[in-house]
Amino acid sequence: MAKATKTKRASVTVRGPHKMPVHLFVNRQDYELHVEPRRTLLDALRKDLGLTGAKKVCDEGTCGACTVIVDGKPVYSCLTLAIECEEKSIETIEALAQDGKLHALQQAFIEEDAYQCGFCTPGQIMSLKALLDENPNPTLDDVKRAVSGNLCRCGAYPKIFRAGLRAAEILRSKKGA
Amino acid sequence: MKKFSGTEPKAQHKGASDGATAVQERETTKLVGQSIPRVDAIDKVLGKTQYPGDLSRPDMVFMKVLLARRPHARIKKIDSSATLATPGVMAVFTASDVPCNEYGLIEPDQPVLCGDVVRYIGDKVALVIAQNEHAAIIGRERLVVDYEDLPAITDPRRALDSSALILHAAKKTNLLAQRRIRKGNIESGFTKADVIVESEYVTPHQEHAYLQPEAGLAYLDEQGRVVIETAAQWSHDDRHQIAHALGLPQDQVRVIYTYGGGAFGGKEDVSIQIVLALAAWKLRKPVKLIWDRDESIIGHHKRHPYIIKAKWGATRDGKLTAIQMDLLSDAGAYASSSREVLNNATAMCTGPYECENVWVDSRAVYTNNPTCGAFRGFGAPQVEFAAEMQMNKLAEALDMDSVELRKKNLWRNGSIQATGAPVPEPVGVIKVLEAAARAAAWPVKKSSSKRLETKKRGFGVACGFKNVGYGFGFDEKCTVTLELHGRSEIEKVVVRAGASDAGQGAHTILTQFVADALDVPLEKIQLVTGDTSEADPVGSCSASRLAFMLGQAVRGAAELAKEKWRTQSERPVKATYRFKPRPTTPLDPETGRGDPAISYCYAAQIAEVEVDTATGQVTVLKLISAHDVGKAVNPQQLIGQIEGGAAQGLGWATVEHFVMKDGFVMTPNFTLYLIPTVLDVPEIMNTVVLEDPDPQGPQGARGVGEMGLIPAAPALVAAVHDATGVWFDQLPLTPERVLKGLQSVP
Repeated sequence: MAKATKTKRASVTVRGPHKMPVHLFVNRQDYELHVEPRRTLLDALRKDLGLTGAKKVCDEGTCGACTVIVDGKPVYSCLTLAIECEEKSIETIEALAQDGKLHALQQAFIEEDAYQCGFCTPGQIMSLKALLDENPNPTLDDVKRAVSGNLCRCGAYPKIFRAGLRAAEILRSKKGA
Repeated sequence: MKKFSGTEPKAQHKGASDGATAVQERETTKLVGQSIPRVDAIDKVLGKTQYPGDLSRPDMVFMKVLLARRPHARIKKIDSSATLATPGVMAVFTASDVPCNEYGLIEPDQPVLCGDVVRYIGDKVALVIAQNEHAAIIGRERLVVDYEDLPAITDPRRALDSSALILHAAKKTNLLAQRRIRKGNIESGFTKADVIVESEYVTPHQEHAYLQPEAGLAYLDEQGRVVIETAAQWSHDDRHQIAHALGLPQDQVRVIYTYGGGAFGGKEDVSIQIVLALAAWKLRKPVKLIWDRDESIIGHHKRHPYIIKAKWGATRDGKLTAIQMDLLSDAGAYASSSREVLNNATAMCTGPYECENVWVDSRAVYTNNPTCGAFRGFGAPQVEFAAEMQMNKLAEALDMDSVELRKKNLWRNGSIQATGAPVPEPVGVIKVLEAAARAAAWPVKKSSSKRLETKKRGFGVACGFKNVGYGFGFDEKCTVTLELHGRSEIEKVVVRAGASDAGQGAHTILTQFVADALDVPLEKIQLVTGDTSEADPVGSCSASRLAFMLGQAVRGAAELAKEKWRTQSERPVKATYRFKPRPTTPLDPETGRGDPAISYCYAAQIAEVEVDTATGQVTVLKLISAHDVGKAVNPQQLIGQIEGGAAQGLGWATVEHFVMKDGFVMTPNFTLYLIPTVLDVPEIMNTVVLEDPDPQGPQGARGVGEMGLIPAAPALVAAVHDATGVWFDQLPLTPERVLKGLQSVP
């Protein structure tokens, strides 16, 4: 037993427990942070970078309110360590609107009134953004699956999936034009 | 009557899907009646909206609350020496630090911090404040509390046993409240009945599960007042309770609400407000607190579980002759609004049905379970579940269509409530039932699809009603101040109304009312809603009341303001109006006679379900809802609220299984307490909105916030019965329960 542990240890890179430097590329900007290895990406975004759009609701990967995009994939930032994101590209809700113009998803959420309290909205939008970046022609089922890990207690679901489809339509028409 | 159908918000103004009278809504420049975007829309989609957990101040410190986490115990000693020795820890506060150690929404029977006894797992015992959150957590772990466990009452049926410990010594009983209705002659009512249906229904705790957990930031302002920034449902009442506990005059306490991330009744009671204020007041420093999910679930109140014995009789031709109900409500450890919920449950347990002979006994009892209080529907969902189940079972017993049976008994203009008062008119419940039935092409044949032998489909119907406002003699009021700035022309309107917006859209409809009342564009309207030192008290954001009350208060204030604008040269013009709805009366303790409700709103829902008889899984395929809202102030938001309410009602009936064991919550997170996801709501939600104006409401509006939830559970259970032939009298219909129920059928 002791031997096995020893062998294993040889291949493990130990990080922490003290703060360590990490380089994060968030919303097209570079950040140098000093964080404990256990710091989640969510806490790093909210507490170290002041980006409070992603929300802490359950802190255990059950609700999706903390969803951000890492290298094109939607992730629960509460289940992701900040140090895992070294050299990766992170997108949060804060950078979706560009040059003072709303993203198609943001526009569609407003048109369809796809929220009530708005607390889950950043997560919903980021999950759908990851979908639409990859698939510009999603079906209703695609849209539902994309947000199936995002709880909305206000129950705006029918409007959320309409907004997802509507945003795809807006994006397609922009491309066509 | 105007109506439109709401499956597709874009199409809803074009006309009702059933071909009935449809009215073009956008015929005027008036904003009331139009689906304008929410005033908070842009910030919400940008992720910029600040919720309580997003607040910060440079020199803030952090607090953690030690919850009792045991159902009933005597506190022998609290040792905080190890905590105080923890690096970063600044202070520990216990019961002796609270100037007036009591609070409560209606009755202050709850200690801010427990000194001698803890009565449920969510009782607060101590506060740890530290330089950072981590130190506060470590410090809390090092608190040593020496408890002597006491026997706990966890079954409400045992709370009144002579052997049960009395939980609040001063009360000498665990009976928190009881009500009665005695109308007509119940014995002769049952004698006249050809069929009698008798059942016992059990409805469970429900967790609000708002995504934004309780959080806030408290500090002292430049005038030395203690300020609490948070989001809940009634800022002025929070202020009152904080001031009471801190022994401060009200004007030394400021409550400022940000936008709230959901509430649904669960933020009507104070949770973290007083302890935050206490810590900031004592330390003269900004203090921040965010509850973890499990702290939120353990620490705030729940929907009351009810045990309901129902015995209803009807004649062969379907006329109700007798309604006998016995209601037992588990109030949990403290009063919260249990009495008021019991009032509602008592007055509404007959459903919206006429009956000459009514006998109701209802009780709320203290137990060592979580405190129960407000939750969307406020007692109505529990008792109307029982009432609608009774109607559906009577229809089966009489071999009568359940819509037809209802129509023979539903309230109409001129009907008398069980409490003896006339039903406020116009009474739209038959119309909503007819509208839902039309939209569903009722009676629906269930042959639609049989993909697999094990999948059975069925349809079920239920009605619902809910009072608007508090009622039962409560002195209800809503005050709004309008300030008109400008010279000859109104350049800016400042609206001072302390209305909480937890997502239901109160601020948007408030601007719609103001814009129309003063004939000013939206851009000129500035809302002052969050700060109790700046905004007038409007009452709580609850009881389906805010649109109704705000609309009327705005109308009154606008009339005064316009008059002043015309007749006075002084600028700005300021006008304050306090709206008081018509008075109601409490129920007589012996007979239940009284005029309990200002007004009612009505709904009917028809659900189609598929039951997998192999797994016990219930899937809702379709939900049709018809609502009489009097006037749809913002149709798009209104439909969202109805659909969202329905999702919560369907959740309560299916996936939301709040498990208690010996006073402990076994489901303190979203892994264990499931709420509906996008895949759990019906593929088709069709909402039909009727507008039969309520003469008491602003431009005819009634309330709507709670209605979507109420008929959902009984409609679903009726559909499951239609599919399987089995009645399920206990919620939720978990797969295990469904399977067990199916197996009980020979």
